Amino acid sequence: MNAVARIFRDFSGKHGLGVALYIGIGVLVWVIVLITLPQLAMLDYSFRNNLPPPMRGGEADVYTLVNYRYFLFGGGDGLNTLDMWVLGKTILAAVVVTFIDVLLCYPIAFILAHSATGVAARLMVLGLIVPFWVNEILRAFAFRVIFGATGLINGIGLGLGLWDAPVDFIRADVALYSSLTYSYILLMVFPIYNAVEALDRNQIEAARDMGAAWWRVHWRIVLPVAKPGIASGATIVFMLTAGALAAPQILGGPSNLWFTQLIYQWFNDAGDWARGSAYAIILLFTCLAFVLLMMKVFKVPIGAIGR
Amino acid sequence: MSTGNATGRVFSVGYTLLFFAFLFGPLLIMSATAFNSSSFPRITPWECFTTDWFGVLISNTRLMQGLVTSIIIGVGVVAISVPLGLAGALALAEITPSLRSALYTVLITPVLIPGVVLGISTIVFWGDLGRSLGGGFSTLFFNGIFLTVIGQVTFIAAYAMLIFSARLQRFDPTLTEAALDLGATPGQAFRKILLPFLRPAIGSAAFLTLLASFENYNTTVFTILADNTFTTALASKVRYGTDPSLSALAVIIIAVTLIGAIVHEAYTRRGEALVAGPAKSGLYANRLGRLAVHPLTVFALLVGLAGFAVYGGMHHESGACQGRIMEGKRAEQERLIEEQQRRMKENAARPQAPAAGSAPGNPSPFGGAFGNVGPAAPPAPAAPAPSGSAPGNPSPFGGAFGNVGPATPSVPAAPPASMPPAGPASSGSAPGNPSPFGGAFGNVAPGAPAPPP
Repeated sequence: MNAVARIFRDFSGKHGLGVALYIGIGVLVWVIVLITLPQLAMLDYSFRNNLPPPMRGGEADVYTLVNYRYFLFGGGDGLNTLDMWVLGKTILAAVVVTFIDVLLCYPIAFILAHSATGVAARLMVLGLIVPFWVNEILRAFAFRVIFGATGLINGIGLGLGLWDAPVDFIRADVALYSSLTYSYILLMVFPIYNAVEALDRNQIEAARDMGAAWWRVHWRIVLPVAKPGIASGATIVFMLTAGALAAPQILGGPSNLWFTQLIYQWFNDAGDWARGSAYAIILLFTCLAFVLLMMKVFKVPIGAIGR
Repeated sequence: MSTGNATGRVFSVGYTLLFFAFLFGPLLIMSATAFNSSSFPRITPWECFTTDWFGVLISNTRLMQGLVTSIIIGVGVVAISVPLGLAGALALAEITPSLRSALYTVLITPVLIPGVVLGISTIVFWGDLGRSLGGGFSTLFFNGIFLTVIGQVTFIAAYAMLIFSARLQRFDPTLTEAALDLGATPGQAFRKILLPFLRPAIGSAAFLTLLASFENYNTTVFTILADNTFTTALASKVRYGTDPSLSALAVIIIAVTLIGAIVHEAYTRRGEALVAGPAKSGLYANRLGRLAVHPLTVFALLVGLAGFAVYGGMHHESGACQGRIMEGKRAEQERLIEEQQRRMKENAARPQAPAAGSAPGNPSPFGGAFGNVGPAAPPAPAAPAPSGSAPGNPSPFGGAFGNVGPATPSVPAAPPASMPPAGPASSGSAPGNPSPFGGAFGNVAPGAPAPPP
């Protein structure tokens, strides 16, 4: 509390009382009312039974682990392999999408930072941003136009006689993965670009002069510099992909759920907010744990994210 | 330049081109479908150039009401998250490093948390609060617009904060100190020095937060409750059946984006040219050139172009072409029906003659394959093709399994019932047939058992 008061006095001395009040109240409201309390409320909710409003606060309103139990064991005795498989698949797919995005974006970020100049660089930046301005739903829709049963690829493939029956790209999740990869490209390119841009070009030249092959230049010189950027971009893309809802709803196969869709179903179809909250908590902690684990593995500090 | 460098150069250019083809290909394809009269969004087959889908889009009241809701929400989000983001950035800039990283982690977490989680926590928290305060369902705590604004601000304010932080890093604190030394009060120094310095960042933060609010789906779909924003209305439309009016929407968004981007580019270029001084670049060297690339000129030109396109589009009449397509389909259907009937008659007259699947000019890879699968049917020349493999049949299965019914044994007067009537399956293989299976299985009805002679 003392520290907060001291900071407040500092601000007030530097910018005046009004500004200090504004900053203090703004940050406190943001941190406490907007971020912390809702998360705690959701955590609290996830340990409760799903009761109709009149019974809330009554005898039956006790803390319980039933929602988490359901995730592990389902309604019966056996393991709830279905939901766990959905969670595992979501994480795995998000990792794959993130990995593809790193592979796709690293060269572009490097080219943008060190090869492109003038008009070309400006055009590239514009070209990266413009698709990002198109609504997320429409971006998913575009992939449906391309991959649908009567879509462009099937139209061409059938027309040329490459295959005989329309290939169900939707069921095979090709459309979904492509769309997710596409959607978050910008969020991968810019962090890597920011990191790589700081690299002194002379270092690359020096390595070349000493006879290093191109892959060695990248591995030994560019990649270490790019690492925080890659970590930052990968974290953002991974979290967004694992938490994506629109693309799986639009492009997901009929028998293929994303974990967010399970949460959505508990909330909106089953009306069980408590269990939905529990599932949301499960998703949140699984994703955070995974990201922290990866940061430990790759030795990246969390402060690098979002820079 | 060494050869290694040259290959590197070729690789970079080639890779860049491929990369941007991947970025723009889907958008271009989707945009093109907005102008095809086919009622399903697709390019192949192309039917008629039409602008009707724009009309369909505008007359969609659900989307348009959602648009109004989205604008209200967007204004609310900008009004709250820009000041919050500024407060956060200022706090981050001036506290001790250890506290800074803690606060930064807390403030940036909502960006990383799945939007679904944010939406749920928002409705749960405010719902609880509303209930404990005794508020009913008509109060603010259960108002979709209010909840959406709150839920979105939680993470969108962090975007604003990142923008302000980036700008603040370039701020020279000695400016504020100088103002204070010259007798300004701290408040005056803030208003006259720091805020003007941050003004461009305020503009871009407002724009970015508005865009983020407008686009958001994951959080909004929970917090909006029974209401609809533009994006949620769009999503439910995409999920439950699609038509090219969505592509029309994409065309509008892309056009607006491109105009905005080009004007912005002209604006920054002009600023740079003014800083660099005249006669630096050819276009800015003379008056006319300067006028031509002035952002306002560029804007007027582009808007004029767009207006012209809209005007032209509104007066484009595709009815005639669509009528022709319909007419063509109907004619084809009739022709097929007739053919079928004739064949049935012939079958009746000459029962041993099964249809030969492989009519000349049949483009289908399977055309005629299995045309005659019935066991032990003697070949008979000069039989008309079954409807499935009509010339020009686009179906890959056209004519496949053309006549799979157990072949009618040589019975002199087999009843016509051994051929199914021209049902929807056989008429389905008209050119422009949307079904990829059109005509396949055209005639698979099990043959009626031949009556004893």
